[in-house]
Amino acid sequence: MGATASQLDTGKLSEYEELTFLTKQEILLAYKRFDKLVPKEEKNRIDYRVRMEDILELPELKFNPFKERICKVFSTSDKKDGSLDFDDFLDFLSAFSESATLEIKSHYAFHIFDFEDDGTLGRQDLKQLVNCLTGKADKTSLTADEMKQLINNILAESDIDKDGTVNLSEFQHVISRSPDFVSSFKIVL
Amino acid sequence: MTDEQNLVKELVGMSTLEQTRAIRELTMSFEEKKNIRWIINGTKALAVVQKWLCQFFRRCSYTMRSARQALELWHGIMKEIGGKFGTSVLTYFLFLKWLLLFNIFSFVVNFSFITVPLLVYGPNITSNVSFRGLELLTGAGYFTHTVMYYGAYSNETLRHGVEYNLQLAYFFTIVVYMVLCGIALTFSMASSFKKNFVLVDPASTSAWQLLCSWDFSLTGEKTVTQRKNNLRESLSEKAQQKLLTLREKLKHSGIHLGSWLVSTALVAGCASSFSLQQEAETLLVPFVVSLMNLVIPLFFSLFNKFEHYSNNRSQIYSQVVRNVLLRMSILGVLCYHWMNEVSQRESFLCWESMVGQALYRLVIVDFLFLMLGSFFGEFLRNVIGTKLHRRLGPPEFDVARNVLDLIYAQTLAWIGLYFSPLLPSIQILKFFILFYLKKVSLTQNCQPPCRTGRAAQMQTIFIFLLFIPFYVGAISIVGYTAWSLNPSQNCGPFRGLDRSFSVVELWMAGLQTLPGSGWAVWIFENIIKSEIFYFLITLIILAITYVFYQLIQGRKMLIDLLKQRIVNEGKDKSFLLDKLQNLQKSRPKKDTKHGRVCYQTFSL
Repeated sequence: MGATASQLDTGKLSEYEELTFLTKQEILLAYKRFDKLVPKEEKNRIDYRVRMEDILELPELKFNPFKERICKVFSTSDKKDGSLDFDDFLDFLSAFSESATLEIKSHYAFHIFDFEDDGTLGRQDLKQLVNCLTGKADKTSLTADEMKQLINNILAESDIDKDGTVNLSEFQHVISRSPDFVSSFKIVL
Repeated sequence: MTDEQNLVKELVGMSTLEQTRAIRELTMSFEEKKNIRWIINGTKALAVVQKWLCQFFRRCSYTMRSARQALELWHGIMKEIGGKFGTSVLTYFLFLKWLLLFNIFSFVVNFSFITVPLLVYGPNITSNVSFRGLELLTGAGYFTHTVMYYGAYSNETLRHGVEYNLQLAYFFTIVVYMVLCGIALTFSMASSFKKNFVLVDPASTSAWQLLCSWDFSLTGEKTVTQRKNNLRESLSEKAQQKLLTLREKLKHSGIHLGSWLVSTALVAGCASSFSLQQEAETLLVPFVVSLMNLVIPLFFSLFNKFEHYSNNRSQIYSQVVRNVLLRMSILGVLCYHWMNEVSQRESFLCWESMVGQALYRLVIVDFLFLMLGSFFGEFLRNVIGTKLHRRLGPPEFDVARNVLDLIYAQTLAWIGLYFSPLLPSIQILKFFILFYLKKVSLTQNCQPPCRTGRAAQMQTIFIFLLFIPFYVGAISIVGYTAWSLNPSQNCGPFRGLDRSFSVVELWMAGLQTLPGSGWAVWIFENIIKSEIFYFLITLIILAITYVFYQLIQGRKMLIDLLKQRIVNEGKDKSFLLDKLQNLQKSRPKKDTKHGRVCYQTFSL
């Protein structure tokens, strides 16, 4: 994370600026916030991975229904435990920033909604998505009939090739017709 | 590996700027992007100077981006509001900021081109009235002879090394500003319309859209829980949509018709009550106008409670249309009164200044009523909701009503621009104070909205409303004044002329004597003043519109055909998979290893 613990060197800063959608101030602010999550004894280690539990304490993510999925999707750790290093953290902020394109946002939204990590949104993924957004993640808050009807409606609307699942292109097609998506898919520090 | 090689090959072919943008837009993690860039930089051999130049331009664009963000007004407050209340409430504040920019631009332009030359070089304005505090409210008295109003501007041509025709300056500044406003509004309306309406299925408030539009920027725990609850209710409503019987449908239509009739009658009644007012100079007229604008919408919301709407959006739209009708008719009656009666009255020395003062009073009283409205609508309602009638709960921020108030305030400023060039300064102050007032009222008194609300589409509707009835109305009033009405004989920059537009005619006549400007005069005489030209332009635009319409219909047909094709491909795929499975089942005694290999090569 740079030579001194509290500063990012300018070479890395310009590299971050070029490869992400964030501006210099946003990157510096992200660095400051990330630095607070790193325990004191590890501050001199480059590429320290902050645990998922600590990331979830950030006020921007604390009450977000998708917080665990976000950490899992953006994490590049081999252990698949949702821990983020600074590069991953910037990736996350870049995808959720104001200037990110629709393709990036819809791509990451697809992966966040894909609870089973199988590359498509099947009935189980959709059911978990609805539960996540309407109440407790493990308990169904709609009745079984309502849930079935709802998922049938969703698939009827978005499953164009009628294979029972929503793949990335179909998802992006639905998103392109939803003008509120770009302005809602935003997290700013 | 070949995917990566293909990607690198593609990226190497682009220019450096495009390359950076393309890499940024890749859906890969940061490490992988760095990798790709390293490979590309290794394969490309650029001259050192060229590399340095590219880097320089890139740094410039980033610095500009950062600077723009740093200068953004109220960025922190907007983020806080968006986090606690969601994007639909944020659209009100963004709209307020946008309108504020219009007024700042207008003030700067008017002040520099019209007021400063007059103050510095022009003749001195004498006034024998002293300043008393009441002027701030009535706009009359001391202010009458200041540069605040039309009457104080002179019609001379200043000669201090450079000739500066104050008459032309006044005319062109106002006209050019209004035209620029119109262009800005047209562009933002068109782009907003394209983004939010054309690509969207108009009838779909479907469950999928609701799910995908979860507002990620919400940070408050209560807000999130409330949104979840409301989403659950909307989803279960959708799952159990019941069809209405014919009798119920008739009943609903009858109630709708009745409400509309009563609303229109109310509006007509208000408008006609103004024709009895002879005195436009007193404070009574603005007071009555603002009172009507405050009270009548309450009746409209009362009617709303009896009506039944199939979805939230049509409810908001019908309320908005009624409010717009009310305000337009009141403004229309006032403008008619000013244009037809005040301008003909001989007893006024300077009828334009009178109209300017009336508008000033309208603006000030409107501001006072906005503050009062905030006090009653939000503060008192919160007190009632939390202390006296606990079941009601704190109020929600009514975005539609507040945005309409803003649009109305801006229209007053636009109409008043011709009669009082420095009115935007009052407007700037008003909007500034209003922002902080509304922000405090919102955070202290209101709860986050229940419905997620289609923020993007609402924004398009607001811009559309701003443009079509209100801006077009304002520019017609100004245009009519400049084109047809007689300016006062004793005051203002157009004194002594038959009508304000004559300024341009005189200038053109003067230009004829100058060599080399024959073309400008020719354009003026044969294009701007001839009616045939506008007729032809209208015909051409209509023809182009028709061609585009046919193109759209053709594209729609193409989309349907392609969708059908995708469905057919899906059917083909499942047919082939079924056939493969049948084939495998009919040959049970196959070597398992061979069978597995067979299956892998056929998996799609």
